[in-house]
Amino acid sequence: MSGTLLKRELKINGKLLALFLAVLTLYGGMITSMFDPKLGESLKAMADSMPDLFSAFGMNQSGATLTEFLSNYLYGFLLVVFPMVFLILLANRLLTRYLDRGSIAFLLATPNRRSKLALTQAFVMVLLLFCLTLYMTGLLLGLSAALFPGELDCGAFLLLNAGLFGLYLFLSGLCFCTACLWSEPRLATGVGAGACIAFVLLQMLSRVGEKFEWLKYATPLTLFDPQGLIGGEPSAVWSFLLLYTGGLALYGVGIAVFCRRDIPA
Amino acid sequence: MNVIEVKGLTKDYGRGRGIFGVSFSVGRGETLGFLGPNGAGKTTTLRHLMGFLHPDSGEARILGMDCFRQAAEIQKHLGYLPGEIAFPDGMRGEEFLRFQAGMKGRKDLGRAKELSERFELDLTGRISKMSKGTKQKLGIVCAFLQDPELLLLDEPTSGLDPLMQNRFVELLLEERARGKTILLSSHVFEETERTCGRAAILRKGRLAAVEDMERLRASRSKTFCISFAREEEAARFAGTFPEAVPRGTEVELPLSGSADRLVKALAGYEVRDLSTRSQTLEELFLSYYGEEAAK
Repeated sequence: MSGTLLKRELKINGKLLALFLAVLTLYGGMITSMFDPKLGESLKAMADSMPDLFSAFGMNQSGATLTEFLSNYLYGFLLVVFPMVFLILLANRLLTRYLDRGSIAFLLATPNRRSKLALTQAFVMVLLLFCLTLYMTGLLLGLSAALFPGELDCGAFLLLNAGLFGLYLFLSGLCFCTACLWSEPRLATGVGAGACIAFVLLQMLSRVGEKFEWLKYATPLTLFDPQGLIGGEPSAVWSFLLLYTGGLALYGVGIAVFCRRDIPA
Repeated sequence: MNVIEVKGLTKDYGRGRGIFGVSFSVGRGETLGFLGPNGAGKTTTLRHLMGFLHPDSGEARILGMDCFRQAAEIQKHLGYLPGEIAFPDGMRGEEFLRFQAGMKGRKDLGRAKELSERFELDLTGRISKMSKGTKQKLGIVCAFLQDPELLLLDEPTSGLDPLMQNRFVELLLEERARGKTILLSSHVFEETERTCGRAAILRKGRLAAVEDMERLRASRSKTFCISFAREEEAARFAGTFPEAVPRGTEVELPLSGSADRLVKALAGYEVRDLSTRSQTLEELFLSYYGEEAAK
């Protein structure tokens, strides 16, 4: 890895991370504070009145315990979609901007192997997403302990976050890979971001009714199963390990392509 | 051993674009001018030397190393100025140079400060707010940053005013005297005239010629435009030069080689104005090789 490049990328993209963390803190704080074992009843009544809408956003559990409540209202949609926007932007800033404008020439015109440059950018991406996961985990643990001491099943909650990071790894690997394949933003960001958005829409559709349930096999988002993870189901753990493997493989393919391709800069 | 060795380099982009069978070499301490009109394939050739592109066939070597596979090793000895400079986002001048120094494994700014002063380059401003000429200066300073033994410069004086162009030529002459090997691409002959010992001329992706600069200069013709005080003087003068074209009080005279004959002849006339128009690269090529070769 190149220390100079790492420092520069962390400095500029750290600001973007801070922005996303601020928004997520707001949402996370709001939703956690909304938990109320008694309120569960009224929320359930609301969910029962419009079951399709609630389940489209992955909010189909009653949320009787704090762990269920958080996994239902945060990990089903918000903590998937917001960081997804972040990682799409990140892939664009770490690769596509350099390749599209030609400023990559100033990185290549240095005695650093292409593999070293690509690995640095990949590391920045993974590190920032890891920081995001760590921060949200810490924040929610802290808030829960302060507002509802003893209510959160910490072990299950940590497993849930480990699974979420697997999803980030997979989606960011995909965006990184498409950014390595093409220089043009239309393809480099378009294909990666397009796939991510399609995955979300497919998952929402698959949750609405039995008619479209088969669609869940068409989106990797299914491999992150919040309910299964807090329930300690082995299949849920296996699927998130699949996300880790797939994610690392996609990063690997991206780096390999970047090392071999023509870069008209 | 030659510093740069290019053999049969071919990259076909289709529809006649690309480079086809380009071969040339640059010896240690030599300055080669890489001449050609826009779109002739100069930048594509340089990108192969930089290891950005794979050749379809043929090979490019620098210091005996393969330009693509050993690009990182080659870069230790090389300074590069891109033809179309795009800097990374959101940096100030000095920040960028420090970043580049770091990427090149240097702690100090080396020659950068000294060169910035020489080109009157203000490093405190944001790059995004810099003018084209200022950005060009920054690119030049960056290419010379680690005092490399080989320089690949793609149209280095574009965007520079005549004063700065002159300073740049002086810098090149100094570097040449210090034994540096330089490959300088340009689409104007005059730019390479003072600095380069030889010129390689590229046309439509093919290497048309590699010639001594002296011989090219000698064969090059200029068109002199002479304005006389009276029409009969113009006519009288035109009578002594068969190739002259009189137009009222003005005479256009194409002349190759020494201007001595013209200057001596003009001494007997009242001359109001004298100007020259240089040949374009294409005209130079035509006059050097004739119509046949140009086809």
